[in-house]
Formats: sequence, C-alpha cells, structure tokens
Amino acid sequence: MDAIVELESVSKDYHLGKVVVPAVRDVSLTVRRGDFLAIAGPSGSGKTTLLNLIGCVDVPSAGTVRVAGQDTSRLSERALTDLRLHQIGFIFQSFNLVAVLDVFQNVELPLLLQRGTRARERRTRVMDLLEKVGLQDHLRHRPTELSGGQRQRVAVARALVSRPKLVLADEPTANLDSATGGTIIDLMRELNRNEGTTFLFSTHDAKVMTHATGLVRLQDGRIDPEPGPLPPVTAAAAHLAAVAAPGA
Amino acid sequence: MSPAAPSAPGPDSRLAGLRRRAELLLLLVRLALRNLLASRLKTLIVGGIILFGAVIVVVGTALLDSIDQSMRRSIVGSLAGDLQVYSSASKDELALYGGMTGDPDLAPFPDYSQVKQALQTLPNVRAVVPMGIAEAAASAGNVLDRALERLRDTVRRQQAGDPDPELPRRLAAELAHVRRIVELVQADQQETAALQQESTQDAAAQADLARALAPAFWEGFHEDPLLALEFLENRIAPQALEGTMLWVRYVGTDPEAFATAFHRLEIIQGTAIPRGQRGILLGNLYYEDWCKLKTARRLDRIREKMQVNQQKLAQDEELQRWARESLSQIGEITKQLDPEESRQAVARLQQALPSATPELPALLRQLLTVTDDNFEKHYRIFYEQLAPLLDLYSVRLGESLTIKAFTRSGYLKSVNVRVWGIFQFRGLEKSTFAGYLSVMDLMSFRDLYGYLTADKAEEIRELKAAAGARPLARDEAEAALFGAPPAPGEPGTLSPEAGSPGPTLLVATSASSVIDEEQMLQAGGGGDRRQARLASRVYSPAEIEQGVALNVAVFLKDPSRTAETIQAITELGRARGLPLRAVDWQQAAGMVGQFITLSRLVLLIAVLIIFLIALVIINNAMVIATLQRVQEIGTLRAIGAQRRLILAMLFVEATAVGLLFGLLGALTGAGIIRLIGWIGIPASTDVLYFFFSGPRLHPTLAAGNVVLACGIVLVVSILSSFYPAWLAMRITPRAAMQREE
Repeated sequence: MDAIVELESVSKDYHLGKVVVPAVRDVSLTVRRGDFLAIAGPSGSGKTTLLNLIGCVDVPSAGTVRVAGQDTSRLSERALTDLRLHQIGFIFQSFNLVAVLDVFQNVELPLLLQRGTRARERRTRVMDLLEKVGLQDHLRHRPTELSGGQRQRVAVARALVSRPKLVLADEPTANLDSATGGTIIDLMRELNRNEGTTFLFSTHDAKVMTHATGLVRLQDGRIDPEPGPLPPVTAAAAHLAAVAAPGA
Repeated sequence: MSPAAPSAPGPDSRLAGLRRRAELLLLLVRLALRNLLASRLKTLIVGGIILFGAVIVVVGTALLDSIDQSMRRSIVGSLAGDLQVYSSASKDELALYGGMTGDPDLAPFPDYSQVKQALQTLPNVRAVVPMGIAEAAASAGNVLDRALERLRDTVRRQQAGDPDPELPRRLAAELAHVRRIVELVQADQQETAALQQESTQDAAAQADLARALAPAFWEGFHEDPLLALEFLENRIAPQALEGTMLWVRYVGTDPEAFATAFHRLEIIQGTAIPRGQRGILLGNLYYEDWCKLKTARRLDRIREKMQVNQQKLAQDEELQRWARESLSQIGEITKQLDPEESRQAVARLQQALPSATPELPALLRQLLTVTDDNFEKHYRIFYEQLAPLLDLYSVRLGESLTIKAFTRSGYLKSVNVRVWGIFQFRGLEKSTFAGYLSVMDLMSFRDLYGYLTADKAEEIRELKAAAGARPLARDEAEAALFGAPPAPGEPGTLSPEAGSPGPTLLVATSASSVIDEEQMLQAGGGGDRRQARLASRVYSPAEIEQGVALNVAVFLKDPSRTAETIQAITELGRARGLPLRAVDWQQAAGMVGQFITLSRLVLLIAVLIIFLIALVIINNAMVIATLQRVQEIGTLRAIGAQRRLILAMLFVEATAVGLLFGLLGALTGAGIIRLIGWIGIPASTDVLYFFFSGPRLHPTLAAGNVVLACGIVLVVSILSSFYPAWLAMRITPRAAMQREE
C-alpha cells in the first residue's frame, strides 16, 4: 500500500512576538491510502498544527511533509492551493459552510473551483454525495436552516465531492452532541470503506477514537509512544494492518 | 456546441475552458449578490452614498451641459458667432462682454475686406460679420429742447396761416410751458449756486436767463417769434444741463450682415437701418431701462416682479423702494406737461382715481402711492390716462442721438446717429448682456473710433482748399503761422499716413497736433450741411468693407469643427501675412464665457469631496465586512480557492454595489432632470436669463451624463475596495480552522 502522507522529523514553531512556541516537534508519521486515522490529544498538544501541515495549509519549520508524493516545503503558495483543491478535502469543527450558498451550491463549490467538470457531471456527483449523506431532500436549504449534524453532513459531502485522496477533519464532532457526532463518524467510516478515501481526523473524544483504525496520540507536540486503550499505534508507522483494507 | 469529434479537442476544450471561467464568474457574482443581501445595512449605507454621488453627478453635469448649451445659444446667437477673429497684435484678449477693466484693447484690422476675403476662402465658413464694440456717452435732447421744438412747430404752422381754431390755445399753452421750464432752470442754478462759489457762475448766462424770464420777453414774443425762439434755443437750452445723458454700449457693424447672421435679432419698433446708411438700432431692454421715463419703468418692474416672481409690495423691500422713488420724482412728470396738458391730466386723474384734489402733484402722489391691492388699477390709470400726455422715452425713433467718445488718439469725438429702430434677440429679451447692446453702422463706429473715412478726408481736403490751407510740414507751420514755437496743444497739421495704400485711410498721427475736423467743419459754417449730407449718404459695400473693424464674428457651416477651423484660420493668417487670431465663442465671451468652466470646476470639486468621503466610508464598511468574513474566506482558501479568486470576489462585490446603486442613482438623477426639464428652472435674474437663454431653463439629459456618473461610481467603488481586498488576500487558510468559542 502506498503512503499518501509522509512526515519526516517535522517540527513547526510559531512566533508570538519574540517568543518562539514549538507546536509540533520532530514528528514522523506515514498515512497510507485507505487509512481512517485519529489524532488524539489534549488541547494545545498540536493536533490542529499537525493537520495544517498535512493539509498544506502550513509548511513545516523543519523536516519534510510529503503529500501525494510532493514535498510541501518546495511548493509555491499557488501550488499548495492547487494541491489542496485537487487532493485534499476538509471538514471543520464549525462546519464552515458558505452561509450565503445553499446546500447544493456549497457541495458544488470545490468542483467549480476546480473548473474541470461540466455542469451535468457536477450535478450527478453532488446529488450522489448528498444522497449518501442523506440530504437529497435539502438541496435548496441554506446552512442556517439546518441542524448542526446536517451541516456537518453537507461539509462531509463538500469534502468528498472532488474525490480527494485524503480528507482531513479537525475535531469534526466537537460542536455536535455525542449521538450526532457518532453518526458523522459512522458516515465518514462508511465512506472510507466504500469509497476508499483516506481520513485523518483529530479528536479528543474517546468514543470517537474507537472508530478509528489507527490512533496517533499527541502530547506537547510530540507523538506519545505510550499505547492507548485502543489498538496500539507505533511511532514509526501509524497504520494498523489489523483493520480490514478497503474493498475497492 | 460544436459537434467536433473528441479527437479534435482544440477549439472544443478552449470553449469548455471559457465556459468554466464563465461559471466561476457566475459563482462570484452569485456570492457577491448573496453577500450584499446578507449584510443589508452595510449595502444600504454604501449603496446610499453611491446613489447620492451618482445623482449629484448626473444632475450636476446635465444642468451644466444644458446651461452650456443655452449659453452657447445666447452668446453665439447674440454677439459672438461660432468663433471670433481679431488681430493677434492686440494687447488684450478679446472679451465681447468686457473684462475686469472694461473693454479690451484690441488692435484694429485696418482693412476689413482683406480679412473677410481671406476667411471666405475657408470651406467651413458660412458667414462673416465685421464688428467693433465700444461704450460711449450719448445724449438726446432735454425737456426744454423738446418743448422748444414743439413751440417752433406751432409757430411755423401759425405763420403758414393754419386755420386750426385750436392753434392759439396750443401756442399759449406751449409758451407757458417753456416759460415754466426756464423758471425751473433758474431755480436749479440758484440751488447749485448756493452750494458753489459765486465766482463760478457765468455772468453772461445769468443775464440771458434774466432776460428770458423778464415779462417783457414773453410779451414781445409774438413780434418776432423766430428770433425769440433762436435766443431760447441757443442761449437758454444749453443751460438746461439735465438733458438726458446716457451711456450706450454698441457694436459697430454692417447692420444688414449682422441681422442676417444673428437671425434671432428682431426689430420690434421702427425699421432696420437702410442698406448703406448711418444709424443706430437700440436694444429694447436698454431702451426700456435707460430711455424710458423712470417712473413708468419702475411701475413696469414692480408689476413684473409681482406677476412673475409672485412678490408682494407689502413684503418686498425692493418693490417698496421703487415705489418710494417714484413718489420722490413726481417733478419729472409735471415738468413735461404744459398747462393745457396739465389741465387734462388733472381732469383724467380726478375721474379715474377718483379724487377731488385739484392739484396735479397731489393727484400724482395719490396715483403713485401703490399697494398690493390698488397696484393693477393705478398701473392701468398711469398707462391709459397719463402716459398719452407724456414723452415716455427720452429718445424717440427717428431722432438723432449724439454719441460722444474718446477716439484712439485721445480726443473727444461726437457723432449724430439716427435711431432707426428698437430690436431684441428672440429668447434673450430680458437679458442685460444681450439687451443693453445697440447696433450701429460701421461708418459712425469708425468716426467714433478715430479713423478717417475716405469721404471725410475728401471733405477736409475741400475745406482746406476753400480756406486756402496748404499742406505744411510741422516745422514750417510754426514759422509760417507765428514765426515762433507754438504752445503745447496748438493745432498742427494733419497728414496722410506715409505709405498708406490709396485714399482709404487717414490717421491723425500726432496727439500733440490734434485737429478735430468736425469742429473745423462746423466753424466753417458747414455743420448742418455736413450732418444732413452724412445722414442721407448711402455707402457702397466697398466703402463699408474697406475700413476698420476690430473683430469679426464667423459663423460656421459645421460648428462641431470649430477647433479645426480655428487652426485653419491661424494658418491662413500666417500664409497671407494677416495677424489673425481666432477664438471660440466661449473664449471670446471673456469672463462671461468662463462661468461654465468655473461652474464645472466647482462641481468637480464638490463631486471629488463627495466621492472622497464615499471612498472612506465604503472602504471602512468593506474592511469591517471583510473582517467579519475571515473564516469564510479562510475556508475558501483552504478548500482550494486561489488568492486572486478572493480578490476577484471582493472586486465583483464592489462592482456589483457600484453598478447597481450607480445605475439606480443615475436613473434617479435622470428622473430629476426630466422633472426639472418638464417644469423648468425660472431665470430669476437677468444674468440667469442670459445663461438660460430665455425665461426658463429646461435641462435635457445626455447619455454621456449617465455614462459618466456610472463610470465615476464604478471607479470609486473599485478604488475603495483595494484596501479590504488586500486585507482579504492576506487571510490564510489557517483562519478556517479558528474555533468558534
């Protein structure tokens, strides 16, 4: 199985005035195609920074981040944006739908940005995904007319519509009650299984972690080698072979 | 859609690319409109300002354009023509309506025919009119002159044996009138004497007055009426100084060419100046304002203000002042009336007012005491009952006006010109700029200007021959006359200008050796003869054209090609060695023409300020809006939108607001202009009357006004989105991850 994300001794420092804050320290990690990987850790442990680095939203201060085979530190701002557009889907903690667009338009947005798909195909793909997330009857609803869970479903559909290799989710259930959060994770897992999309999500919810096929624990910006209560994670490779590989 | 096979992707894929680009733009527009709808307050504030600005631009520019056009009509149609040509050797720039320091100092064209002929070679020139504009003092006969004139007429009729039974009574009344006026002249002089030193009084003049007032003079009048009349005319009338002194502004021109080219000119009384003859046409407004009996004019103006401007005597101080002034000048009316006429006036006023008062002044006082209620009635009584007995105008048609001006060489020159008629420019009836101008024949103008016409030079030659005058050099003249150097200012000789071509022109070359040939002519006893000859003399077109003109009005076949023609005239002048300088009507009008330029400047500054404020406010509103959308923009960036897309999104938004409200504002402005155009802006002052080219300005809208407004608004809204767009561009995708806590 090929690696979709490779981190080698990655560190990221933030400069707050004259103080240097190390957010991620010397992390090495490989994410393989088809993974459904959770990143766990208390707030401030560097989960978001790690996701930002993998999501090409940020570049490391040291070490290399390779996404879909490309070294992000060697890419221009525009190339990084392009990489995000074509290879990565994003799911945010607070959904981040475009408030002025309806459900259909929100999901269609990445396809429009890609400028590669014809209207008819866009429609097919959007409808297909909305059906999968169970929102086919809410096409013309505005985000404000939807519940939190519904909104996150729209976000999931939006993240997947461009058929990215990797979907990053930053605390996708944090703004939802646990039942709804559970259904979102189930949905993601289902898509992971059926579509073969790789998922990488951060969470501090122990229940959510149980759905993951692998777990990376972060503590003070470092990967915590201590095995958790869930399937163990090695520092070198976060992939758990025990989990069934995707069908397709 | 091209049905091309998939194996030929070239044009097809380009088309597809275009379509996708369009789809993206559509998305941006959709986003922009949705965003505008989502933040309604911001949109309304920003839009409101833009709308206001667009309205100001449309209304302002449309108004100014309309005033520009109407002023153009006024100036082009009343004096300037499409463009004006004057000598490039002039000290000042041409200013048809005068500049800061009076009329400009222009170098004359010595031979207008050359200029005319040259200009007529240009294909775009339709008509040329020679001109010279000047101001001078003018005088018409005074009350005593007129009374004596009537008396002389009556005396002649009596001597001719007219059987009219009324005649003796007429004669008696007129004699009494003259006597009464002479008394007033003496009273006037005594009043003046009280204020001055005794020694300034002319003893001979006083003796004449005393003689004229002695009862014996009047008793002896019938013995030799003509002798008595001559005494009164020559010795007494000149002492009645208060004879109407007027200030007249005239354009010396070829009246026929002038009337043809300026087709808005219409003669409303009298006739045009006959072809080739001397004479003057007075502007109607000038005639009304300056030649009409002051009291009558004031009544007219009060009535006009009441009717047109809806002013009330009870409230308006100016009207009250006019009414008061009329009351204080009752003598102006009584002096005009002889005892017979006074009796009639008393009878008519007693009946019309009605009143039992037997005194004329008291009756007039009653008549001229006007209020809002009685004004119409009194106005009618004045014109129906009193006016027929009065000379309403100090200058009458057919009479001569004596015009005195300082010539170029500095001596005082006077010319008598017959008043042929009264004219006005259609549409400019109430404008002082146009209505105070009179039209004079070129010959008289040249006399006043100081150039000798050919026939005058001839006459002087004849006279000199008759008087035995010989041409003498100046040095010899002194010796020949006195054998000693003359005192300064003593007459020298007049000599034809050296090298002057033919007999066309003679110039008084030396200011210190001035001769007023007019005086010479009169001293030689030829004054009356000469005046009579001049008045009836008909000049040939060649005589009119081969002489001085100061400036030339040029009418074009295609006025839109004015700049081009100006260029052509300058080149023509260079080619022919003529000092031609051409300016368009606006420049020719001097300060008056600058009004529009000035107004445009003011509007520009106002618009600039409005839009500067708009810029700041819009910028502020958009910065706030951008800051509120940090997460949204971050999300767009995270999911793959390039920076330039964010930039485009903000500009599309700004453009949408600008276009939407700019158009709305432009439409509102257009509506306002249409409304104003329908109602019209009244010209409340005579200057506005000229600017509006009529009593009301009906502004029209040009597409350019709307386009300009939209353009400005668009530029402003895009400019004001630069900073917020820059801010938005700097929002990183990380902003999407920020937690809402």
